[in-house]
Amino acid sequence: MQESYREIFLSESQEYLKNISNCLVRLENNAGDIESLNEIFRCTHTLKGMSATMGYDKIAQLSHQMENLLDELRSQRKEVTTEIIDILFTCTDVLEQFIQDIRLKRDSTIEIVGYVAALQKFLTGDIPAEKTRPLTATSTSKEIELDPADQAKAKAAQDSGLNVCRAKILIAENCLMKEARAFLIITHLQRLGEILQANPSIEDIKAGRFEQAFTIFLISKESKEAIHKDILNISEVEAVSIVPVETEMKTHAVKHQAPQGQAAAQAQTEHSYIKKIQSMRIPVQRLDRIMNLIGELTIAKIQLVQQVQSAKIEPLEEISLTLDRLTSTLQDEMMQTRLLPASYVLDPFGRVVRDLSKKQNKEVDLEITGSEIELDRVVLEEIGDPLIHLLRNAIDHGIESPEERQAKGKDPKGKIAIKVSRQKGQISIEISDNGRGVSVAKVKEKAIKKGIITELEAENLDDKKILDIIALPGFSTAKEVTDISGRGVGLDVVKIKLESLGGRLDFESKLDVGTRFFLTLPLTLAIIKAMLVQVQGEILAVPLMNIRETIKIKRHEIKLVQNFQVIKVRDEVIPILHMDKELGIPSVSDELETTNDGLPLVIIEYEKRALGLMVNKIVGEQDIVVKPLPSFVKKTKGIAGATILGDGRVALILDIMSLRG
Amino acid sequence: MAKIMIVDDALFMRQMLAKILIAEGHEICAEATNAKEAVEKFKTVRPDLVTMDIVMPLMEELDGIGAVNEIMKLDPKAKILIVSAMSQQPIVVEAIRLGARDFLSKPVNPQRLKEVVKSILTEPLG
Repeated sequence: MQESYREIFLSESQEYLKNISNCLVRLENNAGDIESLNEIFRCTHTLKGMSATMGYDKIAQLSHQMENLLDELRSQRKEVTTEIIDILFTCTDVLEQFIQDIRLKRDSTIEIVGYVAALQKFLTGDIPAEKTRPLTATSTSKEIELDPADQAKAKAAQDSGLNVCRAKILIAENCLMKEARAFLIITHLQRLGEILQANPSIEDIKAGRFEQAFTIFLISKESKEAIHKDILNISEVEAVSIVPVETEMKTHAVKHQAPQGQAAAQAQTEHSYIKKIQSMRIPVQRLDRIMNLIGELTIAKIQLVQQVQSAKIEPLEEISLTLDRLTSTLQDEMMQTRLLPASYVLDPFGRVVRDLSKKQNKEVDLEITGSEIELDRVVLEEIGDPLIHLLRNAIDHGIESPEERQAKGKDPKGKIAIKVSRQKGQISIEISDNGRGVSVAKVKEKAIKKGIITELEAENLDDKKILDIIALPGFSTAKEVTDISGRGVGLDVVKIKLESLGGRLDFESKLDVGTRFFLTLPLTLAIIKAMLVQVQGEILAVPLMNIRETIKIKRHEIKLVQNFQVIKVRDEVIPILHMDKELGIPSVSDELETTNDGLPLVIIEYEKRALGLMVNKIVGEQDIVVKPLPSFVKKTKGIAGATILGDGRVALILDIMSLRG
Repeated sequence: MAKIMIVDDALFMRQMLAKILIAEGHEICAEATNAKEAVEKFKTVRPDLVTMDIVMPLMEELDGIGAVNEIMKLDPKAKILIVSAMSQQPIVVEAIRLGARDFLSKPVNPQRLKEVVKSILTEPLG
């Protein structure tokens, strides 16, 4: 059983821990957040149950102790303090470590005694409740008699034909919830008839204040045998003795009965059980395989459509339309299965910001909006690190210390906002802080010192261009290397990562106002919209995301500036690249020279700068399935991948980022 | 055998309970992950027995106790088995007061589960 449930256990417990962590952050910000507190409690509770069932005792013990403390908070017997939040965070981390160990199938060496003791410290009285519970000793050697007052009542009941009996009930020694068990039995007895007297008192019994047995005098219309059977049927009732009460009162010996042993009926009967599946977990590999198949199907569809168009076969036309509709829907649907909400990556950030700002003695608020927006799983996994890096930068270099902020007349608490939004075919993530911003003068000074630019160049560059320097390799504005950032891994790494995902990094910064980073990402990496262009004999695909516009230009409009061909479009000077020459595609015709109605120019955009790509012909827009290139041609400059076209030809996908170099 | 509805927010627990109960020859006629869903499903499937975790999500709207209450209102003869952790005694007591037939504590001992289910289903005077 262990193995088959292990996976579910691991993934579920991971989710619970993540949830606990997120809610702790919320609780820390607002101690009155009952909802978060309840959620933490629920998650801890479930985790405890799950781990105990799986036999992970240490996890169960630790989460049990956490739950005890949480219960105190929930019932407002204890106040939420920073110390309590801290210990809960620490324990969550320890639990995380345990889960990690289980995942890696290695023996945990973590000792929980210290953590349990730390939690215990916060609990009331420091002594477990069981030990303080007063024990009302029940004499077992002597039978209890009815009070004289009740004797009359018993007699009256007997006279009216009811049975009066004394039931001595023995509860199983290992009974875990004695109070609840006793309460259940009492409730049960009350359904059978009227309880005349009890020893110890009903209240004591219900509160579990008895050793192992208690005695009840019951008036019931049921027979002695029926009552006996009924009580014995209650679980954890070890033994019952029922003795009819004679109003003359005689003592009876208690007959202990053997516990009812129930043979385990292990008959493995095959049972059909059909239930509606509302959510499921799909192995990633399977999704990828299906995705691949759909890609092939899309190609087949395009082939069919083209065949039909050329052959003009009427009935086939309809079929091809259906096929078209079906595959498109299927593709969309399939796409959805790859999507995950951004919260998957963003949720732990609350904790990240908390830890980092604490370390830096800074006060930072994190505001996340749009975390429900869904992104491609692959994109999501890849952007986690760059995002954390930007976050660290913001806390490390951006947000000032509370004193500095106050001196500047700002709120001592800094603010970082992450805004996710979905635009046409793109996801945009904005990270902004209201910190000190980037000083252009300092960047300039440092860039010159580091030899990244010359003094002359510095004079000619505008502020925006100077700022761009901070995204160049090997540049860091932090005065010193700190624990969290500035270890040579800079913005350039973030930038390269985003570009490798087909995305973009832009930023702006104002001194003492703050810095703002814009990350633009494609919705998915598997299928992209592209413009197909013809360059000599080859078809190239240009990702639509990178295209600003396509225009037709006249040959005489092309000017030469410092040996570069440029063209002026609406007052902007755009450099021109001849794609055939750039990619080394041999000319098959001299079409460029002969076309009269203008030369097609695809204007692409990167880093808010434009580049004109000279091509022979614009073929059209199409969804293409991205096939990665095999490793031996992977590094080819200007090419990001390939796709198979409807007619079976291979088209190369242009890599805009590597073109500019 | 009996039609049983399992109410628990953890897939893990649901699967565990289901496996044991199915092996006993019972039919799992419904599963619910929160109190509200449990009440809704109870109305339509009318199970012979409900196993109910009492600490579940959506606690603000309707908690496990609320679900026990609602179900008992729908059918005073409904058989509910509470599955809970040890620290939840007061809630368990409340559930019993409302009419829950029995309770089990986590970690669930398969043998105990089988016995308790059997005893609830065969209560001679229930």
